[in-house]
Amino acid sequence: MSRPILDVRGASGGYGDFQALFSVDFEIAPGEVVALIGANGAGKSTLLNTVAGLLPVREGTISFDGEDISNVPPHKLVRKGLALVPEGRRLFAGMSVEDNLLVACDHASMPAAPEARWTVERLFVLFPVLAEKRRTPADRLSGGQQQLVAIGRALMTQPRLLLCDELSLGLAPKVIREIYDRLPEIRSTGTAIVLVEQDIALAAASADRIYCLLEGRITLAGKASEISREQIAAAYFGVNK
Amino acid sequence: MNWVDAFIQGLLLGGLYAQYAIGMALMFGVMRIVNIAHGDLVILLGLIGIAIAVLTGAGSGLVALLLMPLGAVIGWLLQRGILNRVVGPDPLPSLIATFGLSIALQNLMLQIWSADPRSLSAGPIATMSIPVGPIYVGVLPAIIFASALVLTAGLHGLLRHTSFGRALRATAADRDAAALSGVDTKGAYAVATAIAVAILGLAAVFQATRTTIAPADGGSQLLFAFESVIIGGMGSIWGAFFGAMVLGVAQVVGSRMDPGWGILLGHIVFLVVLATRPQGLAASARGAA
Repeated sequence: MSRPILDVRGASGGYGDFQALFSVDFEIAPGEVVALIGANGAGKSTLLNTVAGLLPVREGTISFDGEDISNVPPHKLVRKGLALVPEGRRLFAGMSVEDNLLVACDHASMPAAPEARWTVERLFVLFPVLAEKRRTPADRLSGGQQQLVAIGRALMTQPRLLLCDELSLGLAPKVIREIYDRLPEIRSTGTAIVLVEQDIALAAASADRIYCLLEGRITLAGKASEISREQIAAAYFGVNK
Repeated sequence: MNWVDAFIQGLLLGGLYAQYAIGMALMFGVMRIVNIAHGDLVILLGLIGIAIAVLTGAGSGLVALLLMPLGAVIGWLLQRGILNRVVGPDPLPSLIATFGLSIALQNLMLQIWSADPRSLSAGPIATMSIPVGPIYVGVLPAIIFASALVLTAGLHGLLRHTSFGRALRATAADRDAAALSGVDTKGAYAVATAIAVAILGLAAVFQATRTTIAPADGGSQLLFAFESVIIGGMGSIWGAFFGAMVLGVAQVVGSRMDPGWGILLGHIVFLVVLATRPQGLAASARGAA
């Protein structure tokens, strides 16, 4: 495997006085798709938020493209090419779809290769429904459309690593499928993707590798094609056979 | 005709309050900070302006040109040094910090300048007026009003039509999401406060030329700014301008009814708006602008 784009070594973290992560090891190669699964409260979102710089790293190191990024503020990580689609979408209410996207465009550092570059027009090709809604306030869109804007906003920052926190949350199965169908196209630009997902079958089908978190610790890591349902169940619920 | 005159004079007075209020609305809209030291900053800048005029003999126009960048620097330092440490979802820490700052500033100004009221001479312009039909409009109040209009339109345009304004609106809507989109939110906050206090630099010159100022006067300036913002609808820039007009008219009309009623009628209008329409009179224009 080539040098990982993201390398998390022995990371501990949490929020407030609560420790949610215990010595987590996690890595992802350029262009790879990795699913991060686990029950509610296992620490999946905490791990993503810690990587993205929203939460402090208490122990261990996080490297992005070989550079230590522990406790670098999020807006600087964005310029290095690390983007997070936050849980619950978190669009800028009262601002149009286009303005939501332009905020990210304004602060992105552009990749050298034009074919790897995301623009508003290219996003409207990827998600045509957004083109018709470009002047609509983001908070007036349906949940699925809002999720597309959230993904699009992250893409506008020209990410080399895209962290997706529960893209399927609260969406209809048909809408979820439409979103996941678009991931290969995003990946084709060389962007690595981390998917936090509740739906294990969907995660296994979309990802090259799977990590499972249980109570803040990694309990399983391996190729999606080689892991059995029994292994996942054991890692997910913590039952030992 | 007396009442038409009172209405016009009220609008002109509102022009001064608008200059206090739009900066306060900006800070509240973007950061949810109610800056209790807002009025004291007006007085501080005014006293510095008077000192500059006394020491160098500079005219009030030049003093205004110096005070605006000075205000920007003070605002930027205030945000970077103090407010960025206390800004957050809980409004109480920033309220306490600015309250403490207000007390500290008042006492600092008393130490330096004593409690004497001072004023800045505007030269012959202070007493000039233009007859408009049967009404006389003072040149200085007209300049104050025009400045308020230009500043309000400029600030609104900055928020609506520039990438910085877009970043500021995004930060106001969701700070973490803005950071995840690459916005340096603390830097954006510092610029917002710098703009708010720079406007106070101009307002301070107008306040010091149209009346006298003394270190303890900040409280009433804060109150007029706050009332304007509440009447207009918190966080809205044009709303704050509109609220300042309502407050100015209420005060002048009140003082024409009875010289003691001016400030009181302003407070009454504020309370009536707060009781019957707490979202403000211009609340349909949502968001930071």
